[in-house]
Amino acid sequence: MRRHEVVVVGAGLAGQRAALAAVEAGREVAIVSKLHPLRSHSGAAQGGINAAVGAEDSVDTHIYDTVKGSDYLGDQDAIEFFCREAGPTVVEMEHFGTIFSRAPDGSLARRAFGGAGFPRTIYAADRTGLALLQGLWERLGTERFTLYQEWDVTDVVVRDGRVQGLLALDRRRGEFEEIAAKAVVLATGPAGRIYGRTTNAHSCTGDGLAVAYSAGAFLKDMEFVQFHPTALLETSILITEGARGEGGYLRNASGDRFMAKYAPHVLELASRDVVSRAIVTEVQEGRGFSGPYGGYVHLELMHLGQEKVESRLQEICDYCRHFAGIDPVTQPIPVYPAQHYMMGGVGTNSRGETNLPGLYSAGEAACVSIHGANRLGGNSLLETLVFGKQAGVAAAEYAATAPAPAMHATDLEEGTAAFRAWSSRTDGEDPSAIRNEMQQTMDRYVGIYRNEADLLEGLKRIRVLKQRYAKVRVVDQSRVFNLNLIDAIETGHMLDLAEVIVVGAYARTESRGAHYRTDYPKRDDAKWMRHTLAKRTPEGPNLSYAPVGYTRWEPKERVY
Amino acid sequence: MSESTVAAAFDVYRYDPAHDAKPRYQRYTLNLSPHTPVLTALLRIRAEVDPSLALRYSCRSAICGSCAMQINSKSRLACETHIGPEMARHGRIVVEPMRNQPVLRDLVVDQAPFWRQYDRIEPHLRLDPAHPMPEGRPTPMTPEEVDRFKETPRCIACAACFSACPAVEADPEFPGPMALAKLYRFVVDPRDRAHQDRLVRIQPNGLWLCLRCHLCTEACPKDVRPSERIRDLKEMAIAVQGATENGSRHAVGFKENISERGVLNEMRLVRQTYGTVGLVGQLGQGLKIVRKKPEVARKPHPIEGVDELEKIYAALDPEPKEGP
Repeated sequence: MRRHEVVVVGAGLAGQRAALAAVEAGREVAIVSKLHPLRSHSGAAQGGINAAVGAEDSVDTHIYDTVKGSDYLGDQDAIEFFCREAGPTVVEMEHFGTIFSRAPDGSLARRAFGGAGFPRTIYAADRTGLALLQGLWERLGTERFTLYQEWDVTDVVVRDGRVQGLLALDRRRGEFEEIAAKAVVLATGPAGRIYGRTTNAHSCTGDGLAVAYSAGAFLKDMEFVQFHPTALLETSILITEGARGEGGYLRNASGDRFMAKYAPHVLELASRDVVSRAIVTEVQEGRGFSGPYGGYVHLELMHLGQEKVESRLQEICDYCRHFAGIDPVTQPIPVYPAQHYMMGGVGTNSRGETNLPGLYSAGEAACVSIHGANRLGGNSLLETLVFGKQAGVAAAEYAATAPAPAMHATDLEEGTAAFRAWSSRTDGEDPSAIRNEMQQTMDRYVGIYRNEADLLEGLKRIRVLKQRYAKVRVVDQSRVFNLNLIDAIETGHMLDLAEVIVVGAYARTESRGAHYRTDYPKRDDAKWMRHTLAKRTPEGPNLSYAPVGYTRWEPKERVY
Repeated sequence: MSESTVAAAFDVYRYDPAHDAKPRYQRYTLNLSPHTPVLTALLRIRAEVDPSLALRYSCRSAICGSCAMQINSKSRLACETHIGPEMARHGRIVVEPMRNQPVLRDLVVDQAPFWRQYDRIEPHLRLDPAHPMPEGRPTPMTPEEVDRFKETPRCIACAACFSACPAVEADPEFPGPMALAKLYRFVVDPRDRAHQDRLVRIQPNGLWLCLRCHLCTEACPKDVRPSERIRDLKEMAIAVQGATENGSRHAVGFKENISERGVLNEMRLVRQTYGTVGLVGQLGQGLKIVRKKPEVARKPHPIEGVDELEKIYAALDPEPKEGP
């Protein structure tokens, strides 16, 4: 059996940062990742990373903006810690080798982002995630840990009240194996593929959240799903908020900069939930454009001039030219909101600790919570690094004194029995059909505007899909890179998470941040200023609630 | 955005070493709009026709580098190669795994040779304790210094260049375009303190094996232009070390020949490259060539207007290149 002290699942920024922290603490470390680390979805992050380092800016303003952006669901103690770590984190990444864009005086260049009081977002052109991922990977070095490259996690094994290790599939050999571990850090990133319209990569299937949930960890605030206002029509490829930060306009079919109506002070740079709802409202009320891929509005960069657009938004130019056949220097970009980020995740504290001893989580997979009901742009890259490090430190501390893990001979047999059944079936359904219907259901019934009837219908449909999934069939009989089997595993993960999202959204009878109920359009602090915690039971998610961490920022109405 | 469709014919390389004696090509035909990416088509084949097709993919937006493959014999990202132009030019779309890496199954290759070369160039900042990073603040770096990286920070390690490179095919020890472009990225980094050592050590290890065919630059989906950065590395290498390698002596000798006579003196170039002693080792090969083409053994006359060449060289290269 394979055996390690600390096993990190996921090799994006959070996972790598956790691994680096655990290595530096002297622990023996392995990383399990279904992608080569440099192919992680962190690399797709475009706009930047927030740190209040400008002379006119302050950490307190960053804290306030984040608390307000979260619609007062973020834990203020965690947010204070997070924002204080921002400056040192960015400096550290610069020293690791990240190539940031620079101002003429040689300092780190900054741009404006939505919901922020000052230009606070440090960037590397419009590929900040890629720049950080390269810098961190090169610093981490391949010789200091064991890499299970292209392995899929299928289970976290919990016995005697603590984590003993995990089960994982080696894609290359097609073998399931046990990996014993004293501590496990889940840093598997997003779960956006639960939706059809998403900016997320195909790999973003929430595997870490699903295995944590199965193992008995709480999932927190899963109903808070961020829709990015500006995704390319048809493909939902992300067009960074940096495009508006650099001065881009949103216009409807009449040519109006409609954000003036919804956020008169900051227009296009309102918080993402506000801008997304505005775009949907414009389209629903007939003021958008329409085409074969549905309604949309225009994001205009033409007035910024060729030099600025091509230098600061280089990748965006490529995306528009390659994937939409338009040139943003001379043409407007057709955009519509798409699922982008899960504020919710595996419930943790600021040290990445979950309710299960030995289990940690960080990055988008986790929910600390600093984003509360709505994340600000530029805060997620920062989150991966700040809390990735914390989770790595905490896991290393725990592993230093934890007893040797006790995996049982039957763990592998029991944990993989279902997969063998899928492959030996002679009838049953292909996972891709179930996945497609799940995505359509979530797009249609659990999107930006929600109401009781839609959520009930969505829940009913997800539960029917779960029944169909019980008879899923894997026809590919090969072991090597059996994507049919991986599709089936991922679809199961996502169905569990979809159910938690819908149940949480149905229960929360208020509107807060990204969770907007047309039947309960007001925020209700007396009843709902609390976190949703979902625990798995055989009947479905069992919900309980936990208070929000509060320090000094009084809840106010959120106006931009 | 009007929608017409084309009947796209895909001939997809299929090979499962555990079950197949040899590779085969499977034909799939789908009606798709011309701007459909090849990746989208392959995923539709997986979802609707044949779930057993194996490939790598993730972001679908040319940023993760997973889906490089041979599309009509060119190393491309499947997510940003559209079917319309491929059908128009070739009448079908032949999809094969990348080259220079062994096939694991169908379109999935073992990338170990590629990553090994990347690791070999020591892809991390090499620091000097005598020059610590500034305490608690970022290293100052001007926009001009950032510009020196050229497009190398855009590299997504997709290996399309490695797949397209004939020097990699000829010699597995050649680092390949991506690793060398990455090396360039460190050699121009003002924070790195090992520029000279990097340039010295890469020379006997493959810098001069580049054939200057520019297929890497053609294949690169992010416009990193590896062949141009390899050229820069060669110039910097000569600047720090002089022409001490066969490759660099060849380059310098070539320039001398052309600038002095406007035409190559092959015998002289061989001697310049290998030295008088090394020349002996090349005799067998040399005799074979001379037997076929006796004129190479003669000392060529300078071409007409050779003095113009000096002016061209002077204009192109007004002062000697400096090291990093």
